[in-house]
Order: sequence, then structure tokens, then C-alpha cells
Amino acid sequence: MDSLSTTLAALADPTRRAILARLALGESTVTELAEPFRMSLPAVSKHLKVLERAGLIIRGREAQWRPCKLEAAPLRDVAAWLEGYRAFWEASLDRLEAYLTELQTKGDTK
Amino acid sequence: MTGTATANFPEIFSTRVLSAPLALVWQAWTEPEKIVQWWGPDGFTTTIDKMDFREGGEWIFTMHGPDGTDYPNHKIFTEILHLQRIVLLHDGPPRHSMTITFEPHGTGTKITMLHFFDSRGDYDLAVIGHGAVEGALQHLARLDAFLESTG
Repeated sequence: MDSLSTTLAALADPTRRAILARLALGESTVTELAEPFRMSLPAVSKHLKVLERAGLIIRGREAQWRPCKLEAAPLRDVAAWLEGYRAFWEASLDRLEAYLTELQTKGDTK
Repeated sequence: MTGTATANFPEIFSTRVLSAPLALVWQAWTEPEKIVQWWGPDGFTTTIDKMDFREGGEWIFTMHGPDGTDYPNHKIFTEILHLQRIVLLHDGPPRHSMTITFEPHGTGTKITMLHFFDSRGDYDLAVIGHGAVEGALQHLARLDAFLESTG
């Protein structure tokens, strides 16, 4: 998978998005992250591994705490790509609307 | 024109109300000679190599940008429900699915488009996707604030 697809797949899960939103407020330990989700530590760790592989978070080295930190670069890439994609569709749908008006004016509804 | 667009990770959800009747909107989406008339932003043209409009059929085309750049595309029609719904798989990168829903809206037509960016992306995810997008909104707001603060 290309890196954009990897990032998007990691972001496909609402729990992982919520974890990132939490990390946007600052570094957290796994225990802190698990609290609001009422999830087991292993379940949270699993999500963190996916996020780490996608380069969306960085984990500290200390074995005991391993605080998690948000890594913004891949998110910027996704945001930029999504904005381009959204603009593509906005522009296409504008053209569709104009084209449909043209078809209706011509009465070409065959 | 009435339209909304919401970009969130990893979905883009958009709706557009068109004044044309549903049958005409459907033709504009499904007939090769009509779809090339509007596909892509201003200044783009599209050449279709193959448009096999049936479930499992391929759609191969090239978009030509105003600066001469060619953008080859390969999509597959994974679901077609006549006059109601089309699901397309875009074979990456990035791989994603696109569900276009057509509904009558007064004398016009409402189209809803959901883009789902995940290899598991399919119709089931598309129908629950709207709620997920709404739920992700506040997360995105925080994320935006974070990106700006680190910008």
C-alpha cells in the first residue's frame, strides 16, 4: 500500500480518530488513552500499533510508560489530498449542473 | 444550487440538489458520451477507453488536465441499482470506494456521494458512514487547531 492509503486505512476507525484527537491535546500514556474508551489496555495497544505503523504517532522509549505523541506530517498530507479531492468533486458537480440545464433546454431527454 | 460537502478522515460526504429530473441525472452519470461532458473541473477533458456499465464492469479513462498532464483512471462498478445507486471502486492510490445515491427531490434530484477510503470500504460502511462523519467533526476541529498550532 502507498503511504496515503496506509494513513487513510489507519484513520478509517473511529476509535483511532478519537485517540488522535486526544493526542492533539498532548502526550498521553496508554492507560490515560484507554480511560475514555472503556477499552482494555491490549485493545488500545492494538490501535496504537496501527497508528504507529502509519507514522501517525511516536511512542516513547521508556518501557514502563511509553508515552504516545501525535505526529502531524501524515495528517497534513491526507488533509491536502482530501482538499484537492473535495475541490475536484465540487467543480465536477458544478459542471454537471450546467450540463443538465443545457440538456433540459435542448429538450434532449431521450 | 444546494450542496454540502464534509471532508473528514477517512470519508468525504457530499450532497447536491439538482433541478433536473432523476432520469436525466442518471443518464448524465451512466452514458459515456454524457459523462465526459461534465466529469472533472473546468479545463479538464476526459477520454473513455472502456465503460462497461454493469456490476463488475471496468471503467477505464484518462483525464487531461489544462496543463497537458494526463491522469489515467481505473474504476470498477461494484454495485448498480437502476435509478438509485452506483458504487464504484477506485483502484488506487489511494484505493477507495465511492457510493452515489440518487433520490427524487421535488421535481429535481438529490445526489449523495460518499467516498470511503479503506480497502474494506463497501456499501455497508457507506450507509453508516454519514453518522461517522458527523461524529468525527468535533475531532477534526481539534485536529485542525493542533495542526495550526504546530504549523
